[in-house]
Amino acid sequence: MNGWTVAATAALAGGVGATVWGVATGPLRRRVVAQNLSTSLACPSLLLLAQGYDRPSYVDPALVLALLGPVGTLVFARLLAEDLEKDPPKAPWLTYAASGFGAVVVLVLCVVGGPDRAMGKLLVTGALLVGGNLIASRALAGGIAGSRHG
Amino acid sequence: MDDPLIVVTLLLVAACATAAVAVRDPERQALVLAVLGTTLAVLFTVLQAPDVALSQLAVGSALTPLLLLLSVRKVRRRGRKKDKAR
Amino acid sequence: MTRRVRLWILAVGGAGLAALLVAACLELPGFGGTSHPYGDRAVRASLARRTANTIASINFDQRAFDTLGEMSILFASVLGTVVLLRQTRDERRAKPEPAYVALPVRRYALIVLPVALLTGLYVIAHGQLSPGGGFQGGVVAATALHLLYLGADYRALERIRPVGLYEVGDALAASAYLVTGLAGLIGGAAFLANTLLPYGTFNTLSSGGTVPLLNAAIGMEVACAVVVLLARFLDQAVEIEQEGGT
Repeated sequence: MNGWTVAATAALAGGVGATVWGVATGPLRRRVVAQNLSTSLACPSLLLLAQGYDRPSYVDPALVLALLGPVGTLVFARLLAEDLEKDPPKAPWLTYAASGFGAVVVLVLCVVGGPDRAMGKLLVTGALLVGGNLIASRALAGGIAGSRHG
Repeated sequence: MDDPLIVVTLLLVAACATAAVAVRDPERQALVLAVLGTTLAVLFTVLQAPDVALSQLAVGSALTPLLLLLSVRKVRRRGRKKDKAR
Repeated sequence: MTRRVRLWILAVGGAGLAALLVAACLELPGFGGTSHPYGDRAVRASLARRTANTIASINFDQRAFDTLGEMSILFASVLGTVVLLRQTRDERRAKPEPAYVALPVRRYALIVLPVALLTGLYVIAHGQLSPGGGFQGGVVAATALHLLYLGADYRALERIRPVGLYEVGDALAASAYLVTGLAGLIGGAAFLANTLLPYGTFNTLSSGGTVPLLNAAIGMEVACAVVVLLARFLDQAVEIEQEGGT
């Protein structure tokens, strides 16, 4: 264990643990937000793990999660639109906090790693993660309106 | 097993998998499954298997929920039509 | 066969499986130990063939025949889906109504689509160097196309997705894998043997002999298979309706 893996453990136990609880209980609006947050908390943990194990190639799973996690949330926003319209989710502060956490982790890792090709990949991952989560939460809160056959 | 990281991720996966079985509504189950996929990917990374983690993420985060929800939508639509016809 | 007999057969089979599993688990090396008999041999073999990612070496070189089986399973299951979910005589197609999608969401989908496609290709191309490979990259690339359905509407997706072409691509990629395997027979080597091409320089894109070729074939096969699979599901969920309301 080093500092990076300790930070990842804390983020997993606190953050991802809370989203597991959130997605397993409560009304639909809470569950979709928890699903979106699970991406924005697990992806920084994967980046921290890659740094902690000193394996730059472990950034690839984080990149794929940053890409496809928000796409998964868009799937829910699109196909559950009718249910979400009746009871739209509203958790802007939680979303901002989780996205901020992701941005901070990416920036810290960039500063530690120094400017090279790996930093480019980190920045792309961070941009996809933060942008994706904000857009996905917008889509959940009425960004996609349901149609019966669409 | 003395690594707290492994213990934490194993507990997360166990909790999420139990929830996936306990939730009865297929739409909510798809949500739990998506989170289960993410926790599984973290577990695979912790166990030094990033290839498996990538497979899990590629399939579990968008593809499985899409297939599940499309099937649910098809079944619901047929049910709705039958109600109308009655 | 009565219910009682069936239960007895199930119980005997289950007990046998449980006994074998317990016996196997008792002989396993301890969790997190330093002894990896299979791992050591696999790493040695993959380094001898200059493949940086041992997993890729196992999938596409040391146990390439297993991957052929897995690919056939995917191919057969997609074929089954195509047959099962076809449009039957008492069904008709209804035009899908476009959904309202907010502008930021639409823009996000259109920006991320090429990025995701590129990431999929990157994951496929670097399969022999870093984690990833044909399967993972193929799924990412195929999922990327469906951002058009999520961010715009189904008709936009249908325009860039001629399903027939993807079906041909699926079959072509599957046969490319077989042909590469058969090529291994040239020079008296075995089916799918990695003896045809030079192994190249360690940790470069062209290293590993036939590994990159087989990897690319799997990538194309998986991407096409997932597109065809999702096309059938989307058709059923969005377009196809039963006539007469029954």
